[in-house]
Parts: sequence; structure tokens; C-alpha cells
Amino acid sequence: MESNTVPELLPGTLYLLILRTLSRGPLHGYAIVKRIKDASREGLRIEDGSLYPALNRMLVKGWLTSEWGVSENNRKARFYRLTPEGRKQLNQEAGEFDRLVRAIQMVMRTA
Amino acid sequence: MAFWNEIGNRVAWLFRRSRFDRELEEEMRFHIQARADELEQAGVSSADALRRARREFGSTLRSREETRSAWQMRWLEDLGSDLRYAARALRRNRALALAAVGSLALGIGANTTIFSIAKEALFSEPSCRDSKSLVEISVSGNTWIPMSQYRFLEATHAFDGLAGMNIQMVVNWRDGNRTYRLAGTRVTGNFFEVTGIPVAMGRPIERGESDVAVVTHGFWTKHLGGDPKVVGRTLALDGKPYTVVGVLPRDHRMLAGFGFTPDLYLTKDPIEVIMYARLPRGMTRQAAYAALKPICRELDRVYPDVNRKWAKEVRLSAVGGVERLQEDGQEAIPLAAFFGMLVVVTAIVVLIACANVSSLLLARAFTRSREFAIRMSLGGSRGRLVRQLLAESLLLALLGTGAGLLLNLWLTRLLSGVHIPTPLPIELLIQPDRMLLAYSVALTFVVTLATGLVPALKGTRAGIGGALKEGGRQNGPAGYSLRNALVVGQLAVSILLLSAGLLFLRNLMYATSFNAGFDTSHAVVATFQTVWGTYTPQRFAGLVDTALERLRALPGVEAASPASAVPLNPFLAFNRPGGQFRPDAGSRTVRVQYNFNAVGPDYFRIMGIPILQGRAFADSDRLGTPPVAILNETMARRLFGNTNAVGHILRFPDNRDATVVGIARNCKYVTLGEENAMALYDPYFQQDHSAFAHFFVRTRSAPETMVRKVDETLAGLDAGAAVETRAMGEIFAGALLPSRLGAAILGSMALFGLMLASIGLYGVLLYATQQRIREIGIRVALGATPGDVLAMVVGQSLRLVTAGMVIGLAVAAAAVRPLSMFLVPEVRPADPMNFVAVACALALVAGLATVAPTARALRVDPAVALKHE
Repeated sequence: MESNTVPELLPGTLYLLILRTLSRGPLHGYAIVKRIKDASREGLRIEDGSLYPALNRMLVKGWLTSEWGVSENNRKARFYRLTPEGRKQLNQEAGEFDRLVRAIQMVMRTA
Repeated sequence: MAFWNEIGNRVAWLFRRSRFDRELEEEMRFHIQARADELEQAGVSSADALRRARREFGSTLRSREETRSAWQMRWLEDLGSDLRYAARALRRNRALALAAVGSLALGIGANTTIFSIAKEALFSEPSCRDSKSLVEISVSGNTWIPMSQYRFLEATHAFDGLAGMNIQMVVNWRDGNRTYRLAGTRVTGNFFEVTGIPVAMGRPIERGESDVAVVTHGFWTKHLGGDPKVVGRTLALDGKPYTVVGVLPRDHRMLAGFGFTPDLYLTKDPIEVIMYARLPRGMTRQAAYAALKPICRELDRVYPDVNRKWAKEVRLSAVGGVERLQEDGQEAIPLAAFFGMLVVVTAIVVLIACANVSSLLLARAFTRSREFAIRMSLGGSRGRLVRQLLAESLLLALLGTGAGLLLNLWLTRLLSGVHIPTPLPIELLIQPDRMLLAYSVALTFVVTLATGLVPALKGTRAGIGGALKEGGRQNGPAGYSLRNALVVGQLAVSILLLSAGLLFLRNLMYATSFNAGFDTSHAVVATFQTVWGTYTPQRFAGLVDTALERLRALPGVEAASPASAVPLNPFLAFNRPGGQFRPDAGSRTVRVQYNFNAVGPDYFRIMGIPILQGRAFADSDRLGTPPVAILNETMARRLFGNTNAVGHILRFPDNRDATVVGIARNCKYVTLGEENAMALYDPYFQQDHSAFAHFFVRTRSAPETMVRKVDETLAGLDAGAAVETRAMGEIFAGALLPSRLGAAILGSMALFGLMLASIGLYGVLLYATQQRIREIGIRVALGATPGDVLAMVVGQSLRLVTAGMVIGLAVAAAAVRPLSMFLVPEVRPADPMNFVAVACALALVAGLATVAPTARALRVDPAVALKHE
């Protein structure tokens, strides 16, 4: 049972995951969740309830823009798109994250 | 940058909130539907799929709240509702709000007006191209340099241009059959080119031109009728036609600063100029200094001068703003100190007004403490309540500052039109700007905190239980003592203001009573200026003789005399020469600096200056007769000690000799503030004069009635001469201006402050009485006499007033001391009489403020008061 639980996201990584997911093109909210779930082979799950607050905080910061479009099964959906600032933020956060992970691994292996 | 974008996004959101809610709803519905679709495809029944999708998503309500909070600026929305609530509260208490806003507005209006004037007079940027790279040059410690030396410097081409101007020039303008004296600034041909002063109409003066002029906007509108075709018009200046080539814009600010505004700029090489240099791009002032220094040494070789070393004290100073002020420290410090004092005084008035408002809000907060307790017990946070109370004072502060700014705009517009008729006239052009806005915003902030912080914190501190139990009727002792402290503070500061105000008032009284050592009641002074070069000294002396004859022949004229200077007029000032004198032409030298005037025989009689020893000048003291001089008491004592100086020979620094024939009593020469200055008089007719004289005329009747006759008589002598005639009292108005201004501003501020403080005292006493009505009722019922009740209220008043007075007097005694720099020496800031008078005034007003509360206490009927629950 315990081994089946999805690990909690490290704080702050939600933005990073969303930015990365959107870096290949605009997506609607549900597609973002699904893409992250699939890409992590169900290893990571975004809580539906925390997705929209996070997306909106990123809209406020100007990392994303949103527009209404039509989904793959012909429903009206809101699509999110990365802005140049968002891309800058992604590069910066991705670099920081890599360094952090590498440092933690280093400690785990040697200490 | 990112921060402001974010704020912008949030503000934009405020305007599409309802659409946002709808869209979010739709988005979440889509999300749940998409999940349900997917589950259905995996084989779940459609009803189950939707239910499961909903469960997985969780509370849409919570999600929406959290999403919305991503956008919200809670504080801004709260502020909006707080301000609306505060506005309602103030509308209910209209009288209170009006009194608070009114007193704040008066204080803030006065304070910001002083700020605006000071900023314009001291810190304004002159009108020119790139003032940063323009510098004023002084050599041998002097900004003035003779023309030949200027030309030498210009020819070295050390800078991107070197230009000169002379601001002290009087120009005679013949218009119709009248001649006017104009303040003409003479400039070198390249002046406009180097400085880049913009013109509004026509063009500037160009290099190599002569006999052309650029007029200022004020001269153009006032004297040329705003003629739109003025460019090309000819003005007869000093007997020569000049062509007007341009008109300056209305907001032209002269390089000389301090609001000086000439009538026109014209080409005509003056004898000496002030130099301005345009530094090449990128050249620092240090580099410019290094370049100039060797040139000045060269100047010393070419133009050796025993009295001046050109290469000494070479300085390049800024032409505008704060920097100029720092460099011109000597001249500007008293002015800056004066403005600084006025800013402080008006700020104190604002603080007294704040204390009143704060006291009122404090009383309100305590009466509402029950409401606050209930709100807190229902879960309202104290911070929220504090913010709500602060919103009320913010609103008052905003209204007060707004009204104060309106007052500022009105006053500064009024002042902008004022033309101070000094030879180089002063006209300040005061416009509201960003600095005033920033200052007002800061002031609003300070006023908000000063009025609101204490009531907000104290008012909400009473614990929930306490306030509810007491039924909210009683005031905590904290409220009393705080309001008492505020009143004591107000009274103390009023003492300070009153002391300063009284000093300036006494200063004005002293100055107007004119104990300046001479009598102005029956004198008319005419300034007579002919065009330079029209007369030889001999012919000019003949002209002056004719003038005196004709003036003396006028009915009502007792005596007339020429003089080269007018006392107490900083702009028609005395020469202040100095040097090594040799009394009795011996070897002993005495270094003195003194005020010099060349006067006619009747001067001392007209001015009422007694000759203490020896004689006044005689008509026979002329060129060719033995030279004579008259000293004042101080100078005689300095040169000859206690021996009688009359009959002694005096050798001047330039080695001429004169016999001292008389000792004149000391009087004031340049300012009312000077004390026992030295002075020396020469006979007017033993000196060479060729263009210029002041005529002093003693009249039998009021001098005002004689002004026209004197003026016409002198104008009839030479059609090209400019004549300006005024009663002598009027001429001294300039010397009185600072005292008048100081007395008017400080006096009104002190009275206003006292009024506010007495209102504060009245409010506190009345409030205290009302809170104690029940107590008084019980006391009266138990046998207290009216005398006891009286003692109770008056006792409180007395305690407050005494405390305020003691603190105030102690502070004032120290704080008014530096004011002596603005006062005539006869008015001493430490004079105990000042403080006695101030204390009496305060006691009187405090007594008046105590009357109504006492009457209220005496009217308490125990039967009514005890029922009053």
C-alpha cells in the first residue's frame, strides 16, 4: 500500500513542471495534468485542486498567457501558452533544479 | 520592472472579475468532463465516471477561492472598503470632519507654500541649454572680471565658449516724452550662443551684433503692451536706437538665480562681467580647473595688479540647483536658514492640528471600544480594526492635504505675480511640480500616522472582556492621560511659536519705528541717472547745482542735497571700501572697512543726523578747496581713539589727505541689523560725478504731496535722464521687507497655533467634564459646593496649562536663540520679557478655553445627572 502512494512534490517544483510541460506548445489544464502524469509514468500527480491556483499565479507573474480554443474532442477549453518571460524563468529554474538534484545525489552517494 | 507588470496585471483583473468567475467555472467544468470522458473510455459507466471525476477534483469552491486569491490585492480592496466606511463615519460627524480638515488644510497650505517658494528661490534650475556643463567662473575670489581680462580669457578658447554678462546695469529708456530706468542686463555677443537660453519669439542675440535687445516676457507684456509685432521694433535706450530681436518665454529663469528678472538683455560691452563657460563634452570641472589655472597665471603676467592675483582662488561653480547653493554658501545661507525656519514653524502648526485631530479620534475610538470588543470577540482581527481606524485618518489627511494644495496653488499664483522693484527686479515664477507632489504625498503619510496611529493602537487595545463588562461607557485611564499629554504638547509648542512670533513682531515694531538714526518723515528721494558719457564732471556738477537751485525754489521745500548713496537700501547700496588709513598722516596704519557716501551740505539736516563735533559740509567745500571729510562716531574712535578727531588729518589708502571737519552720529547704513558700523562722508562737490546722483529733499508738508513736483523739476533738466522719485519711507520698504514678511508669517502662524491649542484644551476639558457628570452629580448631592466643582475643572486646566508652559518655556528659551540672526540687535531673543508676555497670552487664552467646560460642570443638577444612565 505504502509503495503505491505518489510521492509529494518538492515545494516549488509545480511551477517548474508546468513551465516544462508548456514549453512544447500551448495546452489546456487537463492536458497539463495528464502530460505530467504520463511523462512521469504515473510517478507524479498534480492535484486537480491546486492546478488552477498555480496557473493563475503564473498568469499574474506574466509567465503565461491564456486564450480560449477548442479541445481535441471539440469542447471549449482554455489553453495556456508560455511567454518569453516564462521561458526565461524555465531555463533559470531548470538549471537551479539540476544543480540541487546533483548536489543531493552527491551527498547521498558519498556521505 | 516585473513587480510593476504584476501590479498592472492585478489591477487589470479588478476590472474583469465577474467574467473571470464565469470563465473559471467553465474551465473547471471542462476539466472534470475531460477526466470523465477518459474514465468512460476505460470502461467506467458514464454516471460513475462523472461522479469519480468530481470526487478526484475535490472542492471546486475551494479551488475557486484559491485561484481568485492568486489575483487579489487584498489590501487594496480592503482599503477601498475602509475608505468608504470612513467617509460614511465622517459624513455623520460633519462638523468634526470640517474642523479637522480645515485646520490641517491651513497648516499644510502654509507649509507647502513656504516649501514651494523656497524651492523656487533657492533650488530652481536656470533657463539654459544643459545646465550641467555650464559653469560660473570666478578668478581671484571674485565673479566679476574687467572686460580686457575677460577678452584675454575668451581668446584662449580653453572651453566650448566663454560668455559674460553684467546684471547691475541701469538703462534709460525714452518712451514718448518720459524716460524710464530699466534693469538691462548687458551681455557679450556670444552670450546666448554659449548659454543656449531659449527665446519664445524672434531669435536670440547673435555673435557680432550690436544695438540689439532681447526683452523678457514681463517687460513685453507690461511695457510694450504685448505687441505681437514687437520683433523689429526700435527702443531708444541710453539715447541710442536698439532693435528688439526676440522675446523670452514667460518661464525664463535668469542664470543669476534667486528670482532675479531683468527687463531686457542688450548688447553693449559693460566695464566688467560675470563669466560663464561651456565645458566641452566629457570635461569634468576638475579638468576645467586644471586648464584654467595656468591661463590665469598667464593673465597675471599680462595684467599685473597689485591688489588682485588672478590665479588666486580660481573657482568653477554650478549655475543651478542645490549645487549652486552649496557653492554660493556665503550669500545663500541666511536665506536658506530663513526658509528653513519658516518650514519648521509651519510644520509645527501642522503638528498641532494633527494633535487636535488625534485627540478627537482618540475620544471616538474609546467611545467605540465596545463595538471593537464585540467585533474582536466575533473573530475580527485587531490588525483589521487598526487599519480601519487608520483609513479614517488617511481620509482626513488626504482631504486636508488636498485642500492645503488648493491653498498652495492660490497663494503661489498670487505670489508669482509679485514684482519686487529692486534695481534688478525679483519675480518668482512658482509652479506646482513633481517635487511638490512628492512632498505632499510624504506629508499625507506623516499626517495620517500622526493623527491616526495612537488612537488606532490605543483604541483597540482594551481586552474583549474588559470593554464588554464595563459597558463601554467608561474611558480607560490610558485615554485620558494620552489626550492630556497631547494637550500639554500642543500648549508647549504654542509657547515656542508664540515666542518666535513675538520676537518677529517686536522686530517689525522696532524696524518701523525707525530708530535707524535718521528721520524719514519729511524727506523725498529722487534718483537721477543721465546717459553715460553725456556730461563731463564739471558740466555734471553744474547740472546738479542747477537742480538744487530749482528744487530749493519749489514752495514747501526746506532743503535739498545730492548724495551718492541711499541708506538702508541694499540695492542702491553704499560702497563699502576698505584699506589702511594713516591717522594724522603718520606711520601708524589702521585697517578699516566702512560705508561711504558723498553728500551735499544739507544732507545731515535733511536726514536729521546730528553733527556731534565740528561742522557739517559747507557750500564752499568744492573741488579746488582743501579736501575735508566727516566721520561717524565709530570710525572716529577707531582711527583717533578718544581724542577729538576734528581738525586732524586723515591719509586715505590711496595716499590722498583730508581734514576731518566733523563727527556725525552713528546711524544705520546698509541693514537694520548692523550695529555701530563705520561710515565716512566726503563732500559731494569734492568728488567727480558725471552721470548719477540721488537728491534728498526735505519738505514742510507730507512728502507724498511733493513727489510729483520734485520729479517734474528733475525731469525738466535733461530729457534723456531717468528720474525716479519716492517718499523716503517707501524706499526703505525694501529694508523692512524681511521683517514684515517674518512678522506676518510667524505672527499669523503663532496665533493660528495658539487657537488650535486652545481648541484642543477646550475639547479635552469639555470631554472630561461630560464623562464626569455623574461623579459631579454625586459630589454635589453629597454636599460639594460650586466652589469645589469649580476647583475640580479649573484644577485640571491649570495642571495642563502649567505643564505645557513649563515645558514650552524651557524649550523656547533654547530654541529661539538662533533667531537673532534675523533680528535687529536691539531685539534680544533671550529677553525674559518676551517669555513673560508669551506666558500671559497663553494663560489668557487657556482661561477662555476653560470657561465653557466650567460652566457646564456648574450647571450639573444632581437629580438629572444621577438619572442619566
